[in-house]
Amino acid sequence: MSVKIASIYPTLLGTYGDGGNVAALTHLATLHGIAVEVTEVSPGHTVPHDADIYVLGGGEDTAQSAAAAALHASGALAEGVKNGASVLAICAGYQILGHTFLDAEGKPSAGLALLDVTTDRLDTRAVGELLAQPSEFAPAGLTEVFTGYENHGGHTHLGPDAKPLATVTHGVGNGDGTEGAISGRVIGTYLHGPCLVRNPRIAERLLGWAVGRDLDHIVEAEVEALRQERLDFVTKK
Amino acid sequence: MNTPLRTRLAISAGKLAAATSRLAGRGEGMIIGGKVALAVSPHALRDLAQGRVAALVSATNGKTSTTRLLATALSQSGPVASPTTGANMTEGAVWALATGEPGAQAVLEVDEAYLPRIVRETQPKVVLLANLSRDQLDRMSEVAMLARKWRAMIAENPDVLIIANADDPIVAYAAEKATKIVWVAAGQAWTADSSVCPDCGTLLSRDEKTWSCSGCGRSRPEPSWTFEWSAQQGNTYARAVAPDGQSFDLSHLGLPGRFNASNATMALAACSELGQDLPTALELMNTVSAVSGRFATVQAGALTVRLLLAKNPAGWSELLDIMPPAPTPVIVMINANHADGRDPSWLWDVPFERLAGRTVIASGNRRRDLAVRLLHAGVDAHVIEDPFAPNADLPDSVRALEVIDCAATYTAFQKIRVAALDGEVDA
Ligand SMILES: [Zn+2]
Repeated sequence: MSVKIASIYPTLLGTYGDGGNVAALTHLATLHGIAVEVTEVSPGHTVPHDADIYVLGGGEDTAQSAAAAALHASGALAEGVKNGASVLAICAGYQILGHTFLDAEGKPSAGLALLDVTTDRLDTRAVGELLAQPSEFAPAGLTEVFTGYENHGGHTHLGPDAKPLATVTHGVGNGDGTEGAISGRVIGTYLHGPCLVRNPRIAERLLGWAVGRDLDHIVEAEVEALRQERLDFVTKK
Repeated sequence: MNTPLRTRLAISAGKLAAATSRLAGRGEGMIIGGKVALAVSPHALRDLAQGRVAALVSATNGKTSTTRLLATALSQSGPVASPTTGANMTEGAVWALATGEPGAQAVLEVDEAYLPRIVRETQPKVVLLANLSRDQLDRMSEVAMLARKWRAMIAENPDVLIIANADDPIVAYAAEKATKIVWVAAGQAWTADSSVCPDCGTLLSRDEKTWSCSGCGRSRPEPSWTFEWSAQQGNTYARAVAPDGQSFDLSHLGLPGRFNASNATMALAACSELGQDLPTALELMNTVSAVSGRFATVQAGALTVRLLLAKNPAGWSELLDIMPPAPTPVIVMINANHADGRDPSWLWDVPFERLAGRTVIASGNRRRDLAVRLLHAGVDAHVIEDPFAPNADLPDSVRALEVIDCAATYTAFQKIRVAALDGEVDA
């Protein structure tokens, strides 16, 4: 039986190389001997109710609103989560998972309420390298520093039912020193880069949930070299 | 031409600044020269243009090459002022007009965001709009926003003739309200940044030739000019078909690739509107073999390279197609300096899988990102900081090549080009 991965609206939420997240899941699944089945869901097409992993990326303001509206109408994402699926949502995708986010005109717009977060505006846009140390609420096995690139104007506030995924050591993240949010198997983050390419342990956690066992981390020299180079870039500046 | 005194003084001041900059070894001085001239005379561009500007060329990709093709074709009717490098903002336009042959007609490439201002001030005879796609992720240059700017520009300048690519839905949306327009079906190889309708957000339907939107009913405008291309087993077929059915063979262009043949089609359509003899225009375009270092064969340290420039996924996708087939090795250099854009995550949108079967020398300051991308693409990568150093640890297959393709982002490209300027075989 293969792990079902649903890439949600990559034409709307895929501006920042976010396709790399699905590529990383597929690549690591192959290394772990796990079969995967990827469905790219386009606007107007049906979002599957039975995926194991839903992936949402970043996008421009108007695309974000279009994606949120289509996901509201579908209802499939909430149903998938109820059935135990995991969600990895980046940037605009992360904001969509909260209660509200700001649309292109700056007006609050209803999100999917799968994460207890709300997003308003940062004083200045956050653009640059982002480093964050996994928090006590991060899934088991995630202890190595997260590395990514952020590019957003959103200030995300966590409510009591969402826990911070990490603590920012360089960059902005949510805007209050925390980065990302997690609730059950739903993860939101501002880490582009793409996230799962630069943080393969998160990908292995998502795959592990899908197959019901913990995966031993597979070290790839190229990935380690990239991580190290990005950490050095930030810390030596 | 009667240039106002203030602008004449401004140009003198600019020339002095440019010369000083050149003496200080800070490059060709065009930007600084233009900046100083504009500071002295804010209307310098308007004063210098005065009916001389034959064409402005704008696009995300290919504007430098298209500008060179068109300027070369127009030289059949006299001298043409056209900048020699990609200085495509207001300063560059001022400088090209100030330093070109006095009174000569001008062809200028223009940055997408600066186009409205430069159209307003220069009132060109034609404006070529070729394509719009994502560029430089760390800056806020939303493609849809640029299209809206172009729409407003066209509404405000109804007398300017627009020559636009009907195959690019974003360009078509930007140009659809023009009263004077020539549509060219110039092709669109990169569709990933225009998958949804720029107006209503509906997923566009596409077939081999056309596109349409089921949401608002838009579809590809009926073209006057058509670009035809096919490439099979090393044989390429490329032609431009004029509105009267006359066809022009584009297979003898000195510039390689589908995208340059498409650029030549846009340029031919412009030549036609500017009253040029088209067979002569094509002959002249055939002589262009390199544009400001693009496609030039240069010496880079211990290697001889054909220098290729790409800045974004659409451009990279086109370049991968003109490289020699596997197993010929290639050099790919990815930088993420300011001019390249600081965020290279677009690497994940480039179909590097097409390089499978060969060794890629991965270089540039983001070579580690490239190496991971190539790992996922199943492409053999050698990560080398400086492949041009005499003692670089290169595979024998690289040293064995007489000329190796080196595709690079902007700052990596410029570094090689500037270092090699003296030895440039064909610039
Ligand atoms: Zn539409």
